[in-house]
Amino acid sequence: MLNRGEWLPLARKLDWNFSYVTEQEVFPEVISGRPWLPHGIWKDWEESFKTSYREYVENQHEKDMAVYAVRDAVGRLENVQSLATPWINGLKVHAAVLPLAEFTAAIGNLRGVRFGRDSAWRAMACFGALDEFRHTQIPLLLMHELVRWNAQFDWAHKFYHTNNWVAIAARHFFDELTLGQNAIEFQIATNVILETGFTNLQFVGLASLAHKAGDHLFEKMVTSIQTDEARHSQIGHPVLALVMKHKPEYAQYLVDKWFWRNWHLFSFLTGVSMDYLTAGEQRSASFKEFMEEWIVDQFFRTLDEFGLKKPWYWDIFLDELEIYHHMLYATAYTYRATLWFDLVMPSPADRRWLRQQYPKYWDDMDAVWERIGERWRRAGSGRESEMSVHATAMPAFCDLCQLPLSAGTPRNNTANVLARDGRDYIFCSEPCRWIFLHEPERYAGHKDLVKRVLSGEAPADFATLLTDYFHLTPSTWGKDVYAGDYEWLSSERASLR
Amino acid sequence: MPLPLYGFVEGDTIGVLIWADEGESVQALAQRLRDAVSLRVETSDEMEVVYRGAALDPAVTLEHAHFAALQRFDLRRKHGVSESRNSG
Repeated sequence: MLNRGEWLPLARKLDWNFSYVTEQEVFPEVISGRPWLPHGIWKDWEESFKTSYREYVENQHEKDMAVYAVRDAVGRLENVQSLATPWINGLKVHAAVLPLAEFTAAIGNLRGVRFGRDSAWRAMACFGALDEFRHTQIPLLLMHELVRWNAQFDWAHKFYHTNNWVAIAARHFFDELTLGQNAIEFQIATNVILETGFTNLQFVGLASLAHKAGDHLFEKMVTSIQTDEARHSQIGHPVLALVMKHKPEYAQYLVDKWFWRNWHLFSFLTGVSMDYLTAGEQRSASFKEFMEEWIVDQFFRTLDEFGLKKPWYWDIFLDELEIYHHMLYATAYTYRATLWFDLVMPSPADRRWLRQQYPKYWDDMDAVWERIGERWRRAGSGRESEMSVHATAMPAFCDLCQLPLSAGTPRNNTANVLARDGRDYIFCSEPCRWIFLHEPERYAGHKDLVKRVLSGEAPADFATLLTDYFHLTPSTWGKDVYAGDYEWLSSERASLR
Repeated sequence: MPLPLYGFVEGDTIGVLIWADEGESVQALAQRLRDAVSLRVETSDEMEVVYRGAALDPAVTLEHAHFAALQRFDLRRKHGVSESRNSG
């Protein structure tokens, strides 16, 4: 009987020569990806973590048992109910966005299973697809208890099936990244950029905050997911290395494009959770500090090893790191009824901390919060005042990232208009415009929310938009966590009398 | 004729869609935008409407100022920073 060292290479490498079809017919460029190279160039493809199916199943079983043990110990409804309310609302963000995004990654990996250019790559992608099914099922399972307790957690499960503006942005991202992607771009964009870089924010950075917040179930869930990510993300590295060798400018383009797309989406998903929905005493680091540790330092050391350069927009990115998610959060707070989770005003102590962490532009953001606080003072606290402290004008969105036009700074918003083939597009930033212009055939047909309103696809009336298009109701749409009833706001109110 | 425009106010965190009318004045347009963003940013009469890089006379109509649908206009403090690129 063969030992492991003898049979595993035989099982991993099962390529053969085609006799009645060509290699191009078996692996068409449109779905296998480019550059199209004959298998002779891919045949030495090697993954770092070599595993068999038996080993995979045993390892995953152990990891699942560990997650279930934590769920049994600290995963009851009352455990979640004891957490800080803003943190619970951050969980609603993840409950909405995470599970089905992972499911799309299963489909992306399955494309690698069929159209990856080497058998070892295809075998690893199969494990990757199984991982992503697990990452879909775990959050659905662990957060199922919350559905009956809170209508917003229930709505979170419908998220991708609505036309909520965040769902439009997330679908635009994941449809391109995973569902409609060729095998090469999928493995580079997902494994290298998303999973070697940005999911560290979600699964390592946010896990450390969950630990401090006392949310041990979330902490266990995301760290367990991260162990899978760390393994299957290795698929992308040898793919990137070969593309870099044969078409370096294309490899650089993919890195530049997907870094920016990830950066904008994660600024909303993770930046907001870290700096605003985590209580001050539970923040071990700011979003910027996590970005600097996991992205600016570690991730770009990795890219450097491949001979890749920092993206051309690096200075724009560093500037956005100081301000972008703050612009998004203040915008989201004033449009909170368009969301499915509740938001919180940063207290004076929070604002002092934010000023320390983000000194470059915080004065401008502070003026915005001062203004919103003033509106609460005049309106008075209470649910009946919510809509007096809420924006009503239609927000505008970027034609690439589909997020609000909230890039640049309050003094100089960087939104820019492009006229092309008889249509006007607007982009929040130069990199979003650059990505669009690089592949206009891919993006030009998509309508952002404003264009849907103008074409009559979506209602122009704001209230109808919330109920009929976003499928939110008064019980599910976002509110101020405390209905404006902040001790610090009332003491400031009293001091003004 | 209704004219959808993207309005930006200096000091704000987002651009908003403004439904304007070709026959209305620049001053009326500025007031619409002020009302739309008043929750987040304090505006004053000292601000001016900037369109395609030029500050506009508040009295002229949007038609005379050659406003077109789905273009960006700004409400800025006088002598503020220059408008971002407006068209491709």
